[in-house]
Amino acid sequence: MLEYDILIVGAGGAGLYAALWASQNPNLKVGVMTKVYPVRSHTGAAEGGINAALANVAEDSPEKHAFDTVKGSDYLADQDAVEIMTKMGPEIIYDIEHRGVPFSRLPDGRIAQRPFGGASFPRTCYAADRTGLVILHTLYDQTLKQGVEFLNEWFLLNVIHNGERVLGVTAWDIRNGGVHFIKAKAVILATGGHARMYWNRTSNALGNTGDGTAAVLRAGLPLKDMEFVQFHPTGLRKTGILITEGARGEGGYLINKDGERFMKKYAPEKMELAPRDIVARSIEREILEGRGCGEKGDYICLDLRHLGEKKLMERLPQTVEHARVYEGVDPVKEPIPIRPTAHYSMGGIDTDKYGQTEIKGLYAAGEAACISVHGANRLGGNSLLDILVFGKITAEHAAEYVVGVEHLPTEGGEYVKREEEFISSLMDKEPKEKLADLRREMGDVMASKVGIFREEKPMVEALERIRELKERAKSGLAVTDRSKRFNLNLIQTLEFLNLLDLAEVTALCAIERKESRGAHYRLDYPNRDDENYLKHSVVRRKEDGTLQHGWKEVVITKWQPQERKY
Amino acid sequence: MTVERAVLRVYRYNPERDEKPYYREYEVPVDKAQTLLDALFYIQENLDPTLGFRFFCRAAVCGSCAVKVNGISRLACKTPFKELVEKANGKPITVEPLNFLKPIRDLVVDHDQPFESLKKLQTWCEPKEPIPEKEYRIPPEEVKQYERPTNCILCFACYGSCEAVMDDPKYAGPYAFSRVYRYVVDSRVKEEHKREMVKNAMDVGDIWSCVQCQKCIYVCPKGVRPAEDIQNVRGIAAEYGFKDYPGVKKLQHFVDWIYATGQINRLSLPEEVYGVDPTPLINKFRERGAEVWEVPKPLPGLLEFRDLILEVMKEKKPHLDIDFHHVRRIDKRVEEVFNADVCTKITERFEEQREDFFTRFWKKLSEFFGTK
Repeated sequence: MLEYDILIVGAGGAGLYAALWASQNPNLKVGVMTKVYPVRSHTGAAEGGINAALANVAEDSPEKHAFDTVKGSDYLADQDAVEIMTKMGPEIIYDIEHRGVPFSRLPDGRIAQRPFGGASFPRTCYAADRTGLVILHTLYDQTLKQGVEFLNEWFLLNVIHNGERVLGVTAWDIRNGGVHFIKAKAVILATGGHARMYWNRTSNALGNTGDGTAAVLRAGLPLKDMEFVQFHPTGLRKTGILITEGARGEGGYLINKDGERFMKKYAPEKMELAPRDIVARSIEREILEGRGCGEKGDYICLDLRHLGEKKLMERLPQTVEHARVYEGVDPVKEPIPIRPTAHYSMGGIDTDKYGQTEIKGLYAAGEAACISVHGANRLGGNSLLDILVFGKITAEHAAEYVVGVEHLPTEGGEYVKREEEFISSLMDKEPKEKLADLRREMGDVMASKVGIFREEKPMVEALERIRELKERAKSGLAVTDRSKRFNLNLIQTLEFLNLLDLAEVTALCAIERKESRGAHYRLDYPNRDDENYLKHSVVRRKEDGTLQHGWKEVVITKWQPQERKY
Repeated sequence: MTVERAVLRVYRYNPERDEKPYYREYEVPVDKAQTLLDALFYIQENLDPTLGFRFFCRAAVCGSCAVKVNGISRLACKTPFKELVEKANGKPITVEPLNFLKPIRDLVVDHDQPFESLKKLQTWCEPKEPIPEKEYRIPPEEVKQYERPTNCILCFACYGSCEAVMDDPKYAGPYAFSRVYRYVVDSRVKEEHKREMVKNAMDVGDIWSCVQCQKCIYVCPKGVRPAEDIQNVRGIAAEYGFKDYPGVKKLQHFVDWIYATGQINRLSLPEEVYGVDPTPLINKFRERGAEVWEVPKPLPGLLEFRDLILEVMKEKKPHLDIDFHHVRRIDKRVEEVFNADVCTKITERFEEQREDFFTRFWKKLSEFFGTK
């Protein structure tokens, strides 16, 4: 049986950084389990940058950064957690810089910073438009240096706890097949987001299926603020693949079919650099009101031509490549067709400001967690900071915790048996449904009814549809590939089931929040309602399988809610 | 309306069930797939759910989906399907796993070994002391130097196309040396660790096995140029003074002879690099009446000029560790060679162009001193 003091699940930025800090103590046995090789993780797709108040370009402070974050969150972020994050920002940047992250530089050799949406100062440190990639790879190199142990291509099945302490996890070894119980005194879930529930309308990787979040739901523990899904304003029209906010940070224009820079109507001061929720809604509104581009009028154009080829190739090389390969458009010569794409899960596993859940030894960090520092809307450049700050905090907290406790006596046989039975049941079922069809339906339902503009009736329908899909999956979705080795059919089915569970929670929370806040915009309740809804929504699954919805107070320290205008 | 269809001929192998690999053909409607990855998904969703392949980001940044398409390593998610179909011109498109990696299932191969190589080469940053309180000051020009290698996504397309890997299983692979280069030119990294990485590149990674076929540059989906990085690391190895490696000796021979005479000496090369006595070879050539020497006679004063140039170069690039004694020894041998009968013909030819040569030479020299 595999046994660790600390088991980290997920090897993106949060998981790898947690591994580096957890293994500072050489006496601890630390393992990282991941369903894809570490450098494949979606942190690598983060393009634009990472925020920290270094004040290299303009006067700035962690406090100003905190205020921008709180305001950007539409006052739903927990302000104590935000203050921790922004205060640690500079030291985190310096740490990863010392580890070798190749940041872009100012002429005097200091780290360059650029403007980003919702920030009052140029605060976003970057490495061209592949900031996440170089951070991910640099951290990976560091884990090799530190001799971190990896379980590559293992899939999380369930989190095991006894109601008080975590015991470990069950997992499927993708390469060889087979269920294992992995014993651990502490488990850090860094399993990423779940915006794949929008299936084809997302910038997310195919594997961003909220496996850790869904496991926590199944474990009877609370998820928080699941209605908040950020739609990134600029996804490529055909695929949803992301065009970085850096493209607007560098001066890109958003134009409608009349060639008008329409953002002047919605955010006259910040224009294209208003926060993401506002820009995404503005684009969607232009499209809905018939000012979209193209024959069907179903997209908007991002015009970068005036930046010139040299600047584009230097600052936004990946953007140019993406537009050329996935849209067949050369941004040097033509505007890029874009429309908003589901991008980031603000909600997730409910934790305190140290990333702890209500079960001792069970932590969550990164996009999987809802700590909450992003509240109702995340600012660009804050997610890379979030994953590192809370990767470190959870790791240090866990490292301290495990020293004082013993492993609980369990061999895990019963858990393994339960999982094996479940997997056999998937394989023994008579196949009546096709995974691809169900998945597409889920995505369409979520995008059309629980997307950028929301309303009671369609959302209630969506919830019903999702529940129907769950029933159909239960009765007729079978794993037809019975091979043990690299059984994609099994993994994709399990991922889909995770997404379905989370889609149900998302729809429910979106119905319950009868106001508009941040990324959650309701046509039937267009205003923010602090009196009733300045609260986190919390959902847990009861033993009978029904969802229990409740509310939790938001932590306010310095900044009283104000109207959010840009 | 009939939809254009393309035939994919896909490598299949599940060691759990199949005795040996086989190929299966699938018909994919061309308009259903923008990229090759979409085509694989089409097969998986509509024709055969048991097809094994890797994918994750579908946006050419995670490095999961490199496969061999019609013999060439490519990222499936970055390969436009239509283009592939047009090029195939009605013939099936063959999709296979990357070369040289252990099979797991169908198109999925084991990536453990190439990742493990990075660990063995120790390609990471050991920060130089003193570690600053804030960031290290790095000029933007330095960042440019490792901009290309840090684009690497470790998809191992280069590894699967590498001629050196084919011959030398110990050879770490192009991607690994790009990473060595990336950290060796990073001024934040400790000098000792840079030396360590370069040494590892030679001892553990067999960097001298690269034959500079440039395939890695051709197949890289991210514009990394590993073959160039390899040359750079080799140069750095010589600069670091690792003299005992055949590769370094060869490089030294090149430097010495080209500075001395404008060309290498193919006959003394084996001797200088591997200590092989060239006499039998020379005799064999002579017996068959071959023209053995290719070195032109130096003009009066040329050798002195050459020394001057070396001095300047040494000043400009102090790390170019030139052994003047060795150069002198070469000079002597060159002179001996010039006195031999066999090169009279060449010398004659050279005499004809003498004037032109002088003009060019002086021009070059004055340019050189002008820039100093």
